[in-house]
Amino acid sequence: MTRQQVYFDDVEVGQAVPEVRKGPMTVAHIMRWSASMENWHRIHYDRAYAVEHDKLPDVVVNGSWKQHVLMQLVKEWVGLGGWAWKVGFQYRDMDLPGDLITAWGKVTKTYEKGGLGYVELEIGLRNSRGIESTKGTAVVILPRRGGAKVPYPFPVD
Amino acid sequence: MSPNYITDEVKQLIGRETDWVEACDPVEQGAIRRFHQAVMDDDPIFWKVAEAAATRYGGIVAPPLFPLHAFRRPSGAPDPLNRVSGDPDFDGVTRDFGLGLPPVPIPLPRLLNGGNQVEVYQLARPGDRIRAKSKYVDIYQKEGKSGVLVFILVETVYANQKGETLLKALQTHILR
Repeated sequence: MTRQQVYFDDVEVGQAVPEVRKGPMTVAHIMRWSASMENWHRIHYDRAYAVEHDKLPDVVVNGSWKQHVLMQLVKEWVGLGGWAWKVGFQYRDMDLPGDLITAWGKVTKTYEKGGLGYVELEIGLRNSRGIESTKGTAVVILPRRGGAKVPYPFPVD
Repeated sequence: MSPNYITDEVKQLIGRETDWVEACDPVEQGAIRRFHQAVMDDDPIFWKVAEAAATRYGGIVAPPLFPLHAFRRPSGAPDPLNRVSGDPDFDGVTRDFGLGLPPVPIPLPRLLNGGNQVEVYQLARPGDRIRAKSKYVDIYQKEGKSGVLVFILVETVYANQKGETLLKALQTHILR
């Protein structure tokens, strides 16, 4: 597999990571995810229930799906030689059918520990209505140029 | 004055922990495929055998957060969808928060996913028998814009059949 590896040595605070875009989302995309995880929560496919019963503007994109998009953002950036260790998400707003969803990330801190490079990131999802629907943080480990490999499995504290 | 949903019965659930519970099915290649297609991530480590074998994983692996959704309704367990036609208020999900924790007896009708924090240690592989152990870490209420919100924090550790930790998650459920 030929993927460009990002190294700790080349990372700076404030640096943006390559964005990941999904959509525009449709009810079909939402239903496919709900079916793949066997989640039958009606707010994800039953528009009458979502709008009339739960007073939502439409069916909504699953929070559980959104966390995978953020995980993908981080996983793709650290590559096969890094490790996406900790990721946290807070759902601030809804994403709806029609929304194009962009996952973004920005480096907030870098430090070394045990010969490995640790990078903290601010991450989030922004939709095409300009709403920052999900906010989060991540801690990833990157290899150093000429340094030790990032261990896998990653050791439990 | 808002009702107090954090009754003694609810308080007694805080700290309650399950034993290890095993998912009803081993990790299947087909489940990994449906999953990575639904999250629209075509990373070759999820499906290209030779490419995945050349990585540190040594073969195909599941997406990092796959274990969060590995716990399905076992064959023979009651069908929650039986309630949909007879109960117009039923939202399609049970309130037991999965994984063998007792239900939280709070009569609020709407459930929201408040977010979570995950720590990933290893990726699941086809054939793995994923097991999990969960705990109610906290249950509390707050006054929101549209009334009371109850926050239920559940910590879960996921492991494989060798007892190796795959993932730790702290999930926030919100009832309103």
